[in-house]
Amino acid sequence: MGEVIHKRDKPLQVNPFKLSQPMGATLAFLGVDKCMPLMHGGQGCTSFTKVFFTRHFCEPIAIQTSAVTDAIAILDGGDYSIVESVKNITKKVTPSLIGLHTTGLPETKGDDIRGVARQIEFPMVTVNTPDYEGGFESGWAKTCKALIEQLVETSEVVNDNKLVLLPHVSLQPIEIEKIKEFIEGFGFNVLAVPDLSSSLDGHLGEKQAALSSGGISVDEIRSLGDAGLVISVGDSMQESAVALQHKNSEMRHHHFSHLNGLVATDCLVEVLLEETGFTRPPITVARWRQRLQDAMLDSHFSLGQKRFLVAAEPDQLAAICQSLHDAGGKVTIAIATVDSPQLEKIAADKVIVGDLEDAEIAANEYDVIIGNFHCEAIAHRLHKGLVLRGFPNWEQVGNALKNDVLYEGGCYLLFEAANTASSRNEVKHA
Amino acid sequence: MASKPKIKELLDESACEHNKTKKVACNAPTPGATTGGCAFEGAQISLFPYADAAHLVHGPMTCLGTSWETRATGTSWQGRDLTQMGFTTDVSLNDVVFSGEEKLVKAIDYIMEHYSPEAVFVYATCVTALIGDDIDLICKQAAENFGVPMVPVHAAGFVGSKNLGSRLGGEAALAHLVGTKEPQESTPFDINLIGEYNVTGDMWQYTPLLEELGIRVLSTLSGDGRIADIRTAHRAKLNVIVCAKSLVSLTRKMKERYGIPSISLSFYGKRDTSKGLLAIAEALGDDDLNVGTKALVAREEARLEEKLAPYKTFFQGKKAVLNTGGNKTWSIAAALQDLGIEVVATAVKKATEDDREKARETLGDKGVLMMNPGVEQAKLIDETGADLLLAGGRSLYTAIKKGIAFADVNQEKKRSYGGYDGLLNLAEDLKNALQNPVFKNVARRAPWEK
Repeated sequence: MGEVIHKRDKPLQVNPFKLSQPMGATLAFLGVDKCMPLMHGGQGCTSFTKVFFTRHFCEPIAIQTSAVTDAIAILDGGDYSIVESVKNITKKVTPSLIGLHTTGLPETKGDDIRGVARQIEFPMVTVNTPDYEGGFESGWAKTCKALIEQLVETSEVVNDNKLVLLPHVSLQPIEIEKIKEFIEGFGFNVLAVPDLSSSLDGHLGEKQAALSSGGISVDEIRSLGDAGLVISVGDSMQESAVALQHKNSEMRHHHFSHLNGLVATDCLVEVLLEETGFTRPPITVARWRQRLQDAMLDSHFSLGQKRFLVAAEPDQLAAICQSLHDAGGKVTIAIATVDSPQLEKIAADKVIVGDLEDAEIAANEYDVIIGNFHCEAIAHRLHKGLVLRGFPNWEQVGNALKNDVLYEGGCYLLFEAANTASSRNEVKHA
Repeated sequence: MASKPKIKELLDESACEHNKTKKVACNAPTPGATTGGCAFEGAQISLFPYADAAHLVHGPMTCLGTSWETRATGTSWQGRDLTQMGFTTDVSLNDVVFSGEEKLVKAIDYIMEHYSPEAVFVYATCVTALIGDDIDLICKQAAENFGVPMVPVHAAGFVGSKNLGSRLGGEAALAHLVGTKEPQESTPFDINLIGEYNVTGDMWQYTPLLEELGIRVLSTLSGDGRIADIRTAHRAKLNVIVCAKSLVSLTRKMKERYGIPSISLSFYGKRDTSKGLLAIAEALGDDDLNVGTKALVAREEARLEEKLAPYKTFFQGKKAVLNTGGNKTWSIAAALQDLGIEVVATAVKKATEDDREKARETLGDKGVLMMNPGVEQAKLIDETGADLLLAGGRSLYTAIKKGIAFADVNQEKKRSYGGYDGLLNLAEDLKNALQNPVFKNVARRAPWEK
């Protein structure tokens, strides 16, 4: 672990890859079946967010806005615009839940959204996500916590086969599905909150975009209280796990900072073996572990020759850096969107909270850049190798199927990183 | 704040033809039933293409985080292309409580020190407008300090729609840039291109033709634009509004202030491109230019027809249903007709009255103007035996269910369909769509569902 810089006095973001809290909240609500995310703020936040996710997932995105205007911003405390929004949404569709989340505008004037929601006779979950605080990861995490706190019924019994998975925001649909399947392989019934694996991953519904389709159902969330186990993935999700334990003190909790790479996956397997009393995992798990060992050896040479810059949300940053580190890849700089306790644990020479201008300034310190779509321009300008990860990726299709987690995904990530690293060998630097 | 445009005035635009029929301002969105973008997005669309200026968004992260590097507005600017860079103050709780002004001042200093742009546009957003940060004063002081224009843009998202924001963007350029500098030389054929943003290089499809005719593009708002040029825009002989109704107030004011007449036209499709070029020549009022333009149009049309011939054979008898909005309801329809495709229906739900009239004109009496395309389009495909659906991504399922070809016209297009040569791009893309077996293959039923 190297130097960590949590705070800087730069007065602006230049070429930001940071995303906002309300966007994380929207995405979390999209992991709930038949949900209508309702963003409380000006219409633009919603419109931008909708386009943003549509382009990333190539899927229709359900979302509505309370469309606060300047006059309403001054005169209304949310009573009018939220009540009207619910009225207008339910005129057209019947969501199982309306996910009300805020932006900077109503938070600046201090709207009491919980108070307003209480007066509306419709199932709602509310969460305060001003975009002048936190970021994408915290918006998702806060929403997950709100879903748990406001929906899950308390319980005193536990069903030892029932396991709740709390994935962090940067896990793509296929990754959530793979983690679920992996754990199911040990005999558990796994429910993920939120669950993008079935909602934002390739399906052609007849009634597209009206509401989210797929994801965990509201009824399933309500009855999570009797789960015997909760597994949180990503440090941002710890509080959600604690919130769930408050619903049932008998529930056991296991936390993983991430599930990338051999070591982290081994830890998960150890826990699952212990919990089940099994002595061996399913055959496919053992088979993939062998493949990952092989992948690490096959890729270590080119990984070890190159230096990496990784730019990501804190939980994903920790995950990717660890994967590379396990196989000898040297991360010279890790850039996080926001501060997080996770930063102290990241396997990189230098960890900073910053933007992509920082990546440009450090141009001489790395050969390959791993990050979102906005890194493409830098990679091109500076002749760096590029592995696209994180939100958004508007450059490529198939984002929902990018799998970096567990033994299996670990193979794909290492191969992609190693192939990118070695394909840059011929490039003459300008 | 004297520099703030009066929004009410902008919404009551006398140059807007159909304004007589509209009593209430069209900018009140319905909570829970709104899909459009906000004023900030509109302002961004109209001003971001200036690649030699920095665009500093004074607000929290959503505004810029979602929106930078989303529009492929081409530029020939040799310096660092600032349209593809993002600058934001990313205001924090501390700024909200204690004001974000100090941070903004420092951010401008930072940008000037590190990127020395020709100008800085400072965009207010909902949060910073609400807390009352005085961007006018900060811009004024910074302009004096650095000796380059600092343009406050008062188009916070909550003031209204995207369209209004584009107007406000235009107002900002008019108030702070236009008329602040004299051109090095003037020609009798100097024009401004207004509302052409050069997305995917659209304007480069026809600017070489203008050049050939001796028509000089003095400035643009704002495709491939330069700050130095727009500052001299008051010396143009003609304002050409390209496919954008949002900037009519700007051109009206330029007429009042500087006596510059304006015309509005489109460069989509063969007929509209020709009409557009001829209209510019006509408006510039020079006989030789008129003759020259007619000759050039004839030459270009002949050249295009020759290249289009194989496509036209291919498209013969093909019918299309078009489901889009705004001026595309008729401009793309016209382009399709130029390719020999029959447009049997076009959606006019998201179109102005003016656009609806033009759509009727373009499609003729037989064509269907869909007021509720979501419901109507599937039925119309059956009834007319259409071969092609051009729409936004949401309609993909309709096309697959009907087993017909689909082309996405709403998503960010990858290459230009503008001007004469753009029509060839469109022809090629549509031919590929029609020949693509994917739509039929995807529509196959699973073995277990047969």
